[in-house]
Amino acid sequence: MAQNQQITGKVVDETNRGVGGVTIQNATNKRAMTATSEDGTFSLSVAPNTVLIFKGVGFNQRRITVRANQSTINIQLSTSEDQVEEVVVRGYVARKKETTTGSSFTLGEKDLRDVPVANLEQLMQGKVPGLNVQVNTGAPGFRGSTQIRGLSTLSTSGSGNESILMPTSPLYVIDGVPMDADRASEFGLQQQGPGISPLSLIPPEDVQSIEILKDAQATSLYGSQGAYGVIIITTKRGNSEVPRINYTHSTFIKTPPKLRETIGGNLERQIKLWQVLQNARTQEEIDKIMSNPALSDSLNAYYNNSTDWQSLFYQNTFNQNHNLSLDGGNQVLSYKSNLGYYGETGVIRNTGFNRYSANLRMDYRPTPRFDFTGQVFAQLGKQNKGDGTGILQTGVSTGGMNSTLLPAPGFYTANSEYLSAIKTKNDNSSKLIRPFVEAGFEIIDGLRLRSALSYEFASNNEDRFTPAAAAGQFSQVYSFAGRESQLYNRNILNYSKTINEDHSLFFNLFNEVRHVTRQNTITLQARTPNDQFEGPLGFDGYFSRGGGVLSNFRNEKALSFAFATSYNYKSRYVVDLSYRLDGSSANGFENLYTKNPAVGVRWNIHHENWIESLPWINLASLRFTWGVNVMPTSTLERVYGRYDISGNYNQVNGIGINYEFIPNPDLKPTTSMQYNAGLDLNLLNGKLDIIYDTYYKQVDNLLFDAMLSNMAGFEKLYSNDAAVANYGHEMAINIRPLPSSNALSWTLSINGAYNKDVLLQLPSHYRGQFIRWDGSQDLLHMVNRVGTSSLSNYLLQNVGVYATDADVPVDPVTGLRYRTADGTYFQAGDPIYIDRNGDYILDNRDYARSGNTQPLVTGGLQNSFQYKNFQFSVYASYTAKRTILNYALAQRLDLLKDPFGNRAVVPVNGLDVWLQEGDVAKYPYPYDYSRNASIKPFRYDQTLWEEDGSYFKINNIIVAYVFDRDFLRRFKLERFRIYGSMDNVVTFSKYSGPNPENVTNLGRDQSNGYPVPRSYTLGFNISF
Amino acid sequence: MKNLIKNKTLLIGLGLLLGCTSHGCKNYLVVEPIDRLTGNNYYLSVDDVESNLAFTYSRFFDKINETWVMGAIGEARSGEIFVAEGANNYDARKVIEVLGRNDLLTAINSSQYEWYNVRQITNWKKYYEVIQSVNILISKLEEGIPGVSESEKTRYIAESKFIRCFTYFWMVRLYGDVPYYTDAYHTQAQGRENMVSVLNKCIADLMPEKDRMPWSFSDPALRGARPAKGAIIALLMHMNMWNTAFDNQNKQSYLSATASLGSELINSRQHALVTPFNDQNWATVTKGRSEESLFEFYRSINYGDNVAALAPFWDHFLRWPYKFPRFTNQRSHCYFISTYMDQIYPESDADKRRELWFENITSDNGQFVLRKFGTNVYASGNEDKNPDNSFIIFRYADAILLYAEALAEMGNKDTEAITAVNMVRARAEATPYTGSGGAELKDFIFLERCRELIGEGHRYFDLIRTKRIMNAEWTMSPLSLDQFNRGGWTWPIDQSAMNYNPDMVLNEYWTSVGR
Repeated sequence: MAQNQQITGKVVDETNRGVGGVTIQNATNKRAMTATSEDGTFSLSVAPNTVLIFKGVGFNQRRITVRANQSTINIQLSTSEDQVEEVVVRGYVARKKETTTGSSFTLGEKDLRDVPVANLEQLMQGKVPGLNVQVNTGAPGFRGSTQIRGLSTLSTSGSGNESILMPTSPLYVIDGVPMDADRASEFGLQQQGPGISPLSLIPPEDVQSIEILKDAQATSLYGSQGAYGVIIITTKRGNSEVPRINYTHSTFIKTPPKLRETIGGNLERQIKLWQVLQNARTQEEIDKIMSNPALSDSLNAYYNNSTDWQSLFYQNTFNQNHNLSLDGGNQVLSYKSNLGYYGETGVIRNTGFNRYSANLRMDYRPTPRFDFTGQVFAQLGKQNKGDGTGILQTGVSTGGMNSTLLPAPGFYTANSEYLSAIKTKNDNSSKLIRPFVEAGFEIIDGLRLRSALSYEFASNNEDRFTPAAAAGQFSQVYSFAGRESQLYNRNILNYSKTINEDHSLFFNLFNEVRHVTRQNTITLQARTPNDQFEGPLGFDGYFSRGGGVLSNFRNEKALSFAFATSYNYKSRYVVDLSYRLDGSSANGFENLYTKNPAVGVRWNIHHENWIESLPWINLASLRFTWGVNVMPTSTLERVYGRYDISGNYNQVNGIGINYEFIPNPDLKPTTSMQYNAGLDLNLLNGKLDIIYDTYYKQVDNLLFDAMLSNMAGFEKLYSNDAAVANYGHEMAINIRPLPSSNALSWTLSINGAYNKDVLLQLPSHYRGQFIRWDGSQDLLHMVNRVGTSSLSNYLLQNVGVYATDADVPVDPVTGLRYRTADGTYFQAGDPIYIDRNGDYILDNRDYARSGNTQPLVTGGLQNSFQYKNFQFSVYASYTAKRTILNYALAQRLDLLKDPFGNRAVVPVNGLDVWLQEGDVAKYPYPYDYSRNASIKPFRYDQTLWEEDGSYFKINNIIVAYVFDRDFLRRFKLERFRIYGSMDNVVTFSKYSGPNPENVTNLGRDQSNGYPVPRSYTLGFNISF
Repeated sequence: MKNLIKNKTLLIGLGLLLGCTSHGCKNYLVVEPIDRLTGNNYYLSVDDVESNLAFTYSRFFDKINETWVMGAIGEARSGEIFVAEGANNYDARKVIEVLGRNDLLTAINSSQYEWYNVRQITNWKKYYEVIQSVNILISKLEEGIPGVSESEKTRYIAESKFIRCFTYFWMVRLYGDVPYYTDAYHTQAQGRENMVSVLNKCIADLMPEKDRMPWSFSDPALRGARPAKGAIIALLMHMNMWNTAFDNQNKQSYLSATASLGSELINSRQHALVTPFNDQNWATVTKGRSEESLFEFYRSINYGDNVAALAPFWDHFLRWPYKFPRFTNQRSHCYFISTYMDQIYPESDADKRRELWFENITSDNGQFVLRKFGTNVYASGNEDKNPDNSFIIFRYADAILLYAEALAEMGNKDTEAITAVNMVRARAEATPYTGSGGAELKDFIFLERCRELIGEGHRYFDLIRTKRIMNAEWTMSPLSLDQFNRGGWTWPIDQSAMNYNPDMVLNEYWTSVGR
């Protein structure tokens, strides 16, 4: 046996910070020799040629062979992508992930950098199995839709093409404080107020990690609010002996997507004339040309143009993002400050978003028994929505369809849509400030008490001035003022105890108190004097168009108690039990509390002794959980009915019930019960990492707007009799095929989730099917049928185009041809609809269920190479098996319906359009303008627009280079990294519309939505 | 020691954490909503009941206010009203003649008549809103509302039931069979119930309430505007009389019920026909709250009550100087045709109504004026407003004539019937009826109702009730027996009734003729 030699050294992370608590093992006997101290240093005595294994939580392990006569070992550990070895937060208490049973997924700092975005959610797309993020709007500062594990509601808001599924976003917990991300979503796409998502106010540079909790065991400790999943965001904290300054800068260019092709100038006139001459039915219609100077007077300067209207609204923009952070401190006292600016000018003119943020944090830990944290978030989002509502830009969309013959807006001519879009002055802002203090004390060994208090105050304002030319010759002023506050307090008592080193027990008892208030007011003053005077206007009964407190007023108090206990035997067998009581003042006066129980078990196979014989298994765990999240659905209004002041009689003011919904005292809370089984594997020394989960989630007592017969007087009943099940599989695979000694490191991560929803139940009197008739002119009816996917469209079945008149069926009884309800007969070139009731009339009885509005498969792919100082990454995401209704195309073809109108003409070549007798085509004849109103060949409610919405999108491509440390020292720099990236690079899809992702969450391509731009970024991080 | 103190404060904190008693926690969670009124902070006082009733009346009146309802449902369909040449909006007003031909589908669907919005009449949803509202109020009253005394409770329940039965009665006259329910918060979709059975249920519902309701209230402002015993009696009489026509087997019992209700009303001497019969006195009747009022929708410009320009029956039969401005109101929009006027007001008979209530009665043009409703003119100059009358539903004279009709139908009570009909004629300073009993008397009573109640929305229903609608002698728009039996007298029911209601059937006459 050789003489032991003394070795000292330091273990550092990728940023050269010392890493404490890294255990150093002797590889031959697997015995731990020592661990590093807080600053990463260690010393030990070992025989030469011993192989040492360095293991740290959150890091990949490394093996080092001790050479003879070696006295120092300095090593750098790389951050682990391994999801199991981490520390996670459960019920506001940090736990080792290995000893928790729930299903969750963690994203680190690295997953979120290099792409400047307004909204953090965008960076999570495709990276977490089961988290379905759709970036369905490019509106700066707004958010797309986020869903964990499928559909949880059947409620929609809005009507027609604008109707959307009520968002069921996960609960966000930011540094221990819950936040409602669905604020102000009551009004659907027609948002009121600035509409800045609270998530857009968080600078991604300040985020340390994001954890996504998916199953009911993980979320049940968060109670009712966590029923749609929980996303925990942890911001950075001070962690360096020497003060560090970190500066991140990026410059990015945003470019609008490809615009609609339009025929310009004289060709437009020629086509319109051809269309009239070809399709006119009477002499009168032909004579109409003469009274339409745009067609007849080609020499008239006013009508002799070729204006590209769309280019007037869209632009390329140049933007910047800056983030400066300062941190430092030691074990006793540490501090951090983060200052950020993000500016984005929208690709639609006169829109944009700016974020200013300042986050400060201080941690003080004088003794191991006591700690104290103080934190302040101050954020300001400023936004410009033009004349739209943000997500919807109807003015721009209509303006872009103008005839090219019309003169461009100039000094002498005006165009109200253009003026409205460009000249509307819009000043929106969301200001948020949130102080947070937390203190913890260990009363006796293992028993800790923690208490946290936060008060969040947000102020939302919108000021809009519309000039006279854009608002019917009278300028107007609109003002929205809103305030929201949340007082939040949490007290935790937890106790951990290990008996005989084998049995570990953990108890966690906490309560939460919340008081949430909100009040939004609106005023509108119309017919103000002129464009020079924008106010202050004061109150005037003549100008005022009313206003008042919006209906989303809120004053809610909530109180919760939770208890969780966990037991494990040698970390091998883990049992988790938890129970939470949630009370809220919104629940009415009876049954204030909902109860959320959960159970989980876990078997860590890798801790079994027999696993030693399978050295290629580093980690293997099986998990099984069950849990229930209960969400109250009863509100005072729903239980007792709402009474409005309405009418008067015989000098008495009337007060009576609101007939929108009938009170339902039997309303039960919605119960979401979920089973989850999971498998975690880490094989071949970390080369292969697999996480697999399967689940069954059943949502019972789902709130369902049961429409009532009009003999009941009321419109609808909030009933509880619907149920939906979601089941699916989720898998994440992480491959690092190259050995860690190789200079080139390659990480490939693939994840995917399959989620299927099935409607289990409807109120019994619907006999298994409910048709949600749409009152708008779009006629976009929906159908809910038991046993099928929950939300389907209800459409006319289009099976082509009548090639010849003889193809139109004739009613053998009456001898009449197939016709519309108003008696117009079908002919060649008209769409063929299946006459489902066989009456030879096209009416409401010919609809059928069709398609699935929700995607079945979502997922993503990340591919990252690192060679020496170079990094190259590609991030992609995909969505498959989803029906989209291509209304962009419908609207485009519909532009041809009126040659006398002032709309543009679009080319139809490239589309399979019927043009003459005998053509077998897909799309009906678009030029038959005189019958258009009756036949409506491009009506929205038909399967012609149904397309497969599957897509594969390359979200980002990133190239980065880190300068050599030795080189940097000369400039007194700690670190310098430059990068270039592209966002929204390319989407591969069979979909014929502009973007299969830029659709509403019901799968409708909103042609008046905000397009998702592509961006090109150059940036750097620098540390001193 | 220092640690000990620290521990103590912590323990207090712990106490706060865990010691929240269930009572305290519950108090914390109770937030009385200030932004909305819900069922649990309403119905807490007499005022709440009053405001809820005001809401209900105003809802019902909304239905009457939707279009020219009183005229369209109760008068025009019998065909004697014509549009005056040169009336403003002449083309749209032609709908009145379309109604007179009973061509309701054209009246509803043609874009020419859109301005009249007759379609609204076919939608019964608002009537059911009224029914739901009173059903809820009744259930709340039965549970007990603080501050409502036992006698007030009895009266309010009686009033609510009156509104419920009145609404069903109104709907029966419009649609025939209708769904019937009396439970609060009714959600179940159900089919239509035979109208005789509906009215029988209403009679059974309301009959006991009659004697719980006082004849009059201490507040004179409530007379007529709110139902008292007289209103309940009038409604019961009407419901009984309606059933005589459609439930032949029990005809006699309906008639005797009507007769005894009528005599109870007359013998009580709580109501009177306003005399002497002159402009000034008559104005108090059309204004409302008069001794003669049994039930009316009281309207007053002084209360800022909203009456749509088109809604009053009288809007169509007045010109300057009953309407202003003079320039645009040279003519009445409509007139009753002279043959009908001569039929009901024969020149041979002395009848002060012919002078007091009309101008140019047989002119057959826009000079025709129904002065009956022209006594409360407040407009002047360029104000374009209708006279400030109330919408009279049941009047004492109406009840007397109904009583007379029931007696005459009974066959052995002709003398009493003649006495009753002469009460009405005496007030009008008309020659008393001296003819024989039997058919002649019945016809005379019918005509007397036409005379006395002209413009009050009774005529068409009287024609249906007495089956005179099938006889061209009595109407210019007769129905054949087949048409009558298939429901030609009803209104079509709006398609929306079919939604979410598998048991619903529409009026077959209108679905078959219309298509």
